[in-house]
Amino acid sequence: MLKLIGAVMVFGSCAAFGFLVARQLALRPRQLLQLEQMLRVLETEIVYRSTPLPFALRHLAERFRGPLADLFGQAAANLEEMDGADNRLCWERAVQQYRGALALKEGDWAILLELAATLGRSDRLHQQRHIAAACAHLRAEEAIAREDQRRYEKMAKSLGVLTGLLVVLLMY
Amino acid sequence: MVQTVLRVLAPTVRACLQRMPSGWAERIEEIRMRARRPLEVVTADGFAFVSPDGRPVVRPQGAYHVSEEDCLQTLNLLSHYSLYAFEEEVQRGFVTVAGGHRVGLVGKAVVENGRVRHLRDIAGFNVRIARERPGAAKGVLPLLLTGGRLLSTMIVSPPQCGKTTLLRDLVRMVSNGVPELGLCPRKVGVVDERSEIAGCVRGVPTLDVGVRTDVLDGCPKAEGMMMMIRAMSPEVLVTDELGRREDALAVQEAAGAGVVLLVTAHGQDLNDVARRPVLSAIVQSGAFDRFVVLSRRKGPGTVEGVYDGQFRRLAREAIPCSS
Repeated sequence: MLKLIGAVMVFGSCAAFGFLVARQLALRPRQLLQLEQMLRVLETEIVYRSTPLPFALRHLAERFRGPLADLFGQAAANLEEMDGADNRLCWERAVQQYRGALALKEGDWAILLELAATLGRSDRLHQQRHIAAACAHLRAEEAIAREDQRRYEKMAKSLGVLTGLLVVLLMY
Repeated sequence: MVQTVLRVLAPTVRACLQRMPSGWAERIEEIRMRARRPLEVVTADGFAFVSPDGRPVVRPQGAYHVSEEDCLQTLNLLSHYSLYAFEEEVQRGFVTVAGGHRVGLVGKAVVENGRVRHLRDIAGFNVRIARERPGAAKGVLPLLLTGGRLLSTMIVSPPQCGKTTLLRDLVRMVSNGVPELGLCPRKVGVVDERSEIAGCVRGVPTLDVGVRTDVLDGCPKAEGMMMMIRAMSPEVLVTDELGRREDALAVQEAAGAGVVLLVTAHGQDLNDVARRPVLSAIVQSGAFDRFVVLSRRKGPGTVEGVYDGQFRRLAREAIPCSS
């Protein structure tokens, strides 16, 4: 009886791990797409409306949903409250707080932080170029992420289940 | 110390200034920050460097040295992390913050086609503190009226003699009305090219310019005066630092439209004004009936004399700044 419970637990956790990996694979392209959309709106706010950065970020936080929106809201709050601290630092704090809730990878964060360090530091033309460059990067990452999803999502699920089965069989 | 100014300075610099003895803090006219050099304050009587514990010192060695980090933080606070929103301001070399204080900037100029496109690596700030002096114009105003009607007036003054302060107080009084002098509240239109008169932040005045005052903020004077006349039907039209060629045309147009003008101009005295081609043309056209000449002989805002349209002196004695 005990053995059966153990087997069910082992199988369950292996399968769950597989599904978790699959979920991350599915979420990443979606979140990359959302990030790119948010940056596009930010571009409009900056280039055509000259909205000050904290206001623009707050506007984004209200307009979009999910942890990325919360992250932008937090970045706005940090910019307003951290007494003139370096903008990259303000963003890093916000990213630290929300990265656990997102499926983005190290490289994706690097793109965002690199952009964050330049946001608000130059005239409109340069801001537009920086944002466009970041968007191009994100799009490339998104294509890779989609490919990963296509290739590995099903595999991760079946691998989880099969590994669970294998361990259980070996245990018996 | 003025809170609105401290808010835009880097925390370390702010701390130094907050520790200054109260007698000093009230008299500061300018705060000067230069990267890797001592923090300086300028008052009516001279200048001093500021030590980390807020003592005014003469020798630069004992003073707090402004770091590049301080400059960056100040720039961030000043611009809300949004230099792109201040493109025009940075191009002109100064930003106006809440309270009408003007912050001058220097750094590396980025030049395109022979014109300054932008400032980069900003490493020097000059914060000019604007002080509202309600009542500064009380002594002068009666001389600018005839039968409860305001006459077109030009305030002539060298820099830093309180010309904008006087102008602002005149605007406030004319806009609110002064029953004792028989002056009814008037519709006032202010063309505030450098955001110094009304200290507008996002279009809303942060200084008291009166209840019946409309402000066109950050707009070139000549064009702004025409826009005001067309759009807002002002009874009194106000602008700061007249002197460009196109201004003369706008003044003529406004005078022709029967609008009372209230303007300032740079100059030591009336002779100085008469020597400058554009200003003398404006004056000779007869658009102005009163001239107020300022100096800082008895402190900023000393009225040296009030003259009529034929340059005849009206006030015998110099009127000290009534604050």
